[in-house]
Amino acid sequence: MKKIILILFIAFVSMNYANIKVVASTTVIYDLVKEIGKDKVSVDFIARGDQDPHFVEVLPSYMLKLRNADIFFRIGMGLEMWSGQLIDGSRNSSLKVIDLSTDIDKKEVPNYKPDASYGDVHPFGNPHYWLDPENAKVMTKEIYEALASESHQDEAYFKKNLDEFNSRIDSKMQEWTNSMQKVKGKSLLFFHASWVYFAERFGLKTAGFVEPKPGIAPSPSHNAELVQIIKSKNIKTIVMENFYSDSAPNQLSQLTGVKVLKVATAVYGLKSVNSYIDMIDYIVNQIIQNS
Amino acid sequence: MNKLLFALSLFFIISGSINAQSSINPDISLIGTFNTFTNFIKGTPEYGKLNFGDPEMELFVDGYLNPFARATANISYESNTFGVEELYGNIVRGLPFDMQIKAGKFLVGFGKLNTVHPHAWPFLERPLFHQVFFGESGFNDVGINFSFLLPTGDVFTNLDLGIFKGSSTIPQTDSNAIDRGINPIFVGRLNAFLSLDDYTNLEIGLSGSYGTYSKGNMILFSILKNVNNIETFNYLFGGFDFKFKYAPDSYTVLTLQGEGILNHRDVPRIDYFGVDYSTASSKKISNSGFFIYADYKFQKQFSVGAKYDYTAGILGDLPTFYSLSNDDKNSTQGFETWFSYYPVEETSVVRLGLQHLFYSYGDGTKRSAETTIKLQFLFSLGPHKAHPF
Repeated sequence: MKKIILILFIAFVSMNYANIKVVASTTVIYDLVKEIGKDKVSVDFIARGDQDPHFVEVLPSYMLKLRNADIFFRIGMGLEMWSGQLIDGSRNSSLKVIDLSTDIDKKEVPNYKPDASYGDVHPFGNPHYWLDPENAKVMTKEIYEALASESHQDEAYFKKNLDEFNSRIDSKMQEWTNSMQKVKGKSLLFFHASWVYFAERFGLKTAGFVEPKPGIAPSPSHNAELVQIIKSKNIKTIVMENFYSDSAPNQLSQLTGVKVLKVATAVYGLKSVNSYIDMIDYIVNQIIQNS
Repeated sequence: MNKLLFALSLFFIISGSINAQSSINPDISLIGTFNTFTNFIKGTPEYGKLNFGDPEMELFVDGYLNPFARATANISYESNTFGVEELYGNIVRGLPFDMQIKAGKFLVGFGKLNTVHPHAWPFLERPLFHQVFFGESGFNDVGINFSFLLPTGDVFTNLDLGIFKGSSTIPQTDSNAIDRGINPIFVGRLNAFLSLDDYTNLEIGLSGSYGTYSKGNMILFSILKNVNNIETFNYLFGGFDFKFKYAPDSYTVLTLQGEGILNHRDVPRIDYFGVDYSTASSKKISNSGFFIYADYKFQKQFSVGAKYDYTAGILGDLPTFYSLSNDDKNSTQGFETWFSYYPVEETSVVRLGLQHLFYSYGDGTKRSAETTIKLQFLFSLGPHKAHPF
């Protein structure tokens, strides 16, 4: 009898723990939600860490995830063009959709009418803002507000987690900034136009992109131009996301000796990258060691 | 009518351009298709020559009506004629039992491929059994469809139940048929989706459709009957489908997909008793069709594939009570192969395809196999939606 009462008590206590069901569009958001919500949220993600977040197939299994969710967090700014179909497919009319880009200081917002002649230009600006650690604090503030709004009784708990996370970011930021002093002012070549936030934060110069225009496959004529740039600016490194094909960068490497750095730009993009801080640690270390 | 549709199309395009920055406007996209072909069918004027097909176009206008509902219009231009291929509203959220309702004119969910527009297929030629059983534009009808998500845990299981006007049965009628009257048809599909791992997914489905496809005056089939005996001819389709996709990275995708149909229906048949005596009656026949294909995308810009088709009936026959879906004597088989090149990304594709058709006649009639080679250029202008599985 005592055992039954104990089991019932545990079940009752468990039920009283607010358990906000969250789905994140990317693993970066997934990790940040875990940091703020900890044991009071159950969180899942859509795009894997080794997957290009621009192009995610609309799978019915993703709709099921959203069907049972309270909140869906996404990067926004047109990155997840696939998310609307998932939201519709979920049939979940009470789902809250939170765009984490709302308070981001957006870069590369076109001051022209963007069309496909510019490649895959995002009309609301460059959406790869999570690569600047300062923006992680903007994102977690948005996450905190959404979670607190969903569960008022846990607001203080979420706030404590937010403050702890921000102080860890501040501390790591000091460390990353110091480390990146070694490469500050250096020119790098990037594969895709996704590094503007990271480069500006740490004082790197962008010499060019392997893609002739965002989302457009590398071409031999563009590669020839890049060879000239690499030689004239003494570029040592090409930095690229690990889900892109390294065929064109490797050709450049063979022609010029430039190093090709394939890095994870999402949590779980590599086995050793299990958190947002791991990810920035990894990117910073790779760039320092290879530039 | 065509002028009106053309004017409407222009209006949508112009208003879309003027207000392109307005987020409340619907999405507008335009698909253009241009085919050149040659065939090796003896006796045809196209034999061995470079032939230019008329350009085809699809204009999509699509957007939210409110937070819970969407509307879509698809205006097609084919064979120098405008037509409304689809026009429907879709309540996607907020209904009880997680139901979705789609009403209007649209591609019917019998099997998986029929609801996918041809420009999104990896191959060039519509499956043979679609052409024989549904017509050249597929199973497209006016009606209402109710969609339910079933409570099957982590397996996505969906049940569609629809009732339709039955316009799609017209390709199966006969010049001797009489007006089929107001006789709605019923269509249903049960499908389940499973993620086998992070890179491998499988969907399987079962479909069914029942209704009256035609009516016939039996006196036309009998020299002895002197009464006007009108018979109703019903059909029952059963269908199965599967789609398997393996995508280990951003650039490699292997797709295997297949569908089949089992057709059971009433048809008028004449029984002969000697030279001067015959009688017509309604008989039940059964026949079938299926296709299976594999498409392998091996780089961001290239894919290659092959498809095998079988269908009851002879492709290209005029519709009668003895041909196409009413034909239980003859059959058509096809083999198609293709190579696709996406020059920049998926907004344009150049596709080279070869189709080889061969025919089997129950009475032993011989007919040469037919080969067609087609070069297709297809472009997609406007918002490029994510690919559904």
